[in-house]
Amino acid sequence: MLKTSNILSFSAAATLALTAMPGANAADPIKVGVVTPLSGTYAPIGKQVRWGAELAVKEINAAGGVGGRQFELLFEDEEANPPVAVRKSEKLLQQDKVDLLTGTVNSGSTLAVGQLAERNGRILVTTVSYAPSITGAQCNPNVFRVNANAFMQSNALTAWLVKNAPGKRYFFIGPDYEMGRSTISAFQDDIKRLGGTDVGATFPPLGAKDFTPYVGQIRAARPDVIMTATAGNDTVRLLTQLKEYGILNEKLTLAGAAGAVTQENIGAMGGAGEGFLSAAGYSADIDTPANKKFVAAFKKEFQNDPDLFGADTYGLFYLFKQAIEKAGSTDTDKLRAAMEDASWETPQGTKKIRKGDHQAIVDMVVVKVKGNDFQTVGKVAGAEAVGPDKCDKF
Amino acid sequence: MEDLLAYLHFVVLPQFIDALIIGVALALVALGLTMIFGLLDVINLAHGELYMLGGYAAFTLLGWGAGYWSALVLVPVLVGFVGWGLEELGIRPLLPRADRAIVTLLLTFGVSLIFRDLAQVIWGTETRAVVAPLAGIAGAAGVFVPVYRLFVFGCGLLAIFATWWLVYRTQIGAVLRATAVDPSMVASFGIPIRLVYGLTFFYGCALAGLAGVLLSPIYAVFPTMGHDFLVMAFAVVIVGGMGSIIGAVVAALLLAQVQGLASLWIPPVWAETLVYGVMLLVLVVRPGGLFNRLGEA
Repeated sequence: MLKTSNILSFSAAATLALTAMPGANAADPIKVGVVTPLSGTYAPIGKQVRWGAELAVKEINAAGGVGGRQFELLFEDEEANPPVAVRKSEKLLQQDKVDLLTGTVNSGSTLAVGQLAERNGRILVTTVSYAPSITGAQCNPNVFRVNANAFMQSNALTAWLVKNAPGKRYFFIGPDYEMGRSTISAFQDDIKRLGGTDVGATFPPLGAKDFTPYVGQIRAARPDVIMTATAGNDTVRLLTQLKEYGILNEKLTLAGAAGAVTQENIGAMGGAGEGFLSAAGYSADIDTPANKKFVAAFKKEFQNDPDLFGADTYGLFYLFKQAIEKAGSTDTDKLRAAMEDASWETPQGTKKIRKGDHQAIVDMVVVKVKGNDFQTVGKVAGAEAVGPDKCDKF
Repeated sequence: MEDLLAYLHFVVLPQFIDALIIGVALALVALGLTMIFGLLDVINLAHGELYMLGGYAAFTLLGWGAGYWSALVLVPVLVGFVGWGLEELGIRPLLPRADRAIVTLLLTFGVSLIFRDLAQVIWGTETRAVVAPLAGIAGAAGVFVPVYRLFVFGCGLLAIFATWWLVYRTQIGAVLRATAVDPSMVASFGIPIRLVYGLTFFYGCALAGLAGVLLSPIYAVFPTMGHDFLVMAFAVVIVGGMGSIIGAVVAALLLAQVQGLASLWIPPVWAETLVYGVMLLVLVVRPGGLFNRLGEA
């Protein structure tokens, strides 16, 4: 009898091991694989992801962990390159036997690692990737997103603009490739739906050095608001040249994608980006006790302000904690059930996972460039920004 | 009819003026490239990076408290010396080789990568700003041009004219043209050929440096900015005739207009393609380019 139960439990363990779901001991750590860019162009984002994760884990472990179990972080450099992300995630899943995955930045990496996680019966949560398809056309039962996606940015920004920016005439500028075209078309749809007038759009090539060929078109359109989806150096050149040609004035409102004006390029604009508006799921100056406490702890630990990537990753670990406590284990099916419809507290307020597409409903903040900083000028409720559920896979 | 006039006046004319200014800037970059090619048969792929160095040198000098005007004079000299050093240490040892066209191409390509990475190490990957010394917009008859762009246009024209005068109206220029045709004959007159080569590199690179300072307030400064002009500059050199100074200027103005005016009517991405279409056409119809090489005109 004793022997039979031994064999049973042995074969049960073997089955679990085969499906990469080892039965957990109460004292075993909860392993979280963080596949994030630690080198290359996106390294600054990966750094924030890492800091957010480390701070949350330090706090949770110090307070006794999750039901007596400690979080353990395993970092891998994905270089913002989907094939590398897949290779490193495979290692984390197969060799290190992680319980959960997070950290992917590049939307392509998130989609690819999400499929891998599904095959391995594990859950991936992204805290950075914007592409709507992750919780839309290519949604996956094992993938969650706790940050605001590109549609939410557009919804929140346009809702705020139509209410607050003087004038109705909107002009759009985007780099001529997938991201620029899709972002601008989201802006255009939202603006038209909300009653603004689309007075024209132009799509300069990515990396254009001179935007003067478009100045005439912009001047002729007499816009009240210019919305742009350019990024990096393109934004620097666009805005400084618009300023040079006297297009920018106090009557014109500048707005655009969250990545258009960042800490990286703001210094190079010589004030041309002043007043630029964008929407994001987080801003370090959110005035709540929870956020102040988080910012202070973050600064003390890393001598830097958190940005949205750090804050969203930090918040995620409190979702993990809550879900594992509710599920009573790290079993994927139980965890998924516990995460669906979960609402939990984060530095930026309460977030809620929508069961239908695994997108977190996040309150959006509209931020304005002032000097070399971003200031919160408005908020848009998450429910208003999140838009319809377009996932039909689960 | 009135609509057409208004269109020409307010849309086409400003575009023509903008493209004219870009054309002059492009000519500055292409001039150095074509002079070096015409004299030494060296295709300098690091030319764009010398333009970048000009931008960064201006940024650094201004950061140290130097005025813009002193930077405008100093930077071309500094970049010129970098070019001279490149010729002395890198190009010179390869010149006697029969396959020098290809080995110097590889060498300068390598140098361009090194310069770009060095810039990243020294100045970081962030974009840097250089503040224009002149603000304001000049307007006449409803057409507006920033004052600084007019200044760039004037400086560029001056540099182009100075180059033409130097090459075609001075003793040094005569030596230069003669060297391009028959270096050993020139050497037999006791003229130090090495110095001629070194000075040509100095001057060509100084022009790239000058373009770097002049354009840094308009286009900002970052490690990969050398790409912006290099590809267009090669198209200019090919259309104008490899090594031709007048050809480079005419082709730069022409191609900038093709690109500028075309992007009024076709998507800007296609306007760029059109420029290479013109280049292809010239290669088919007149493979030597529109004008003759250095020393033959």
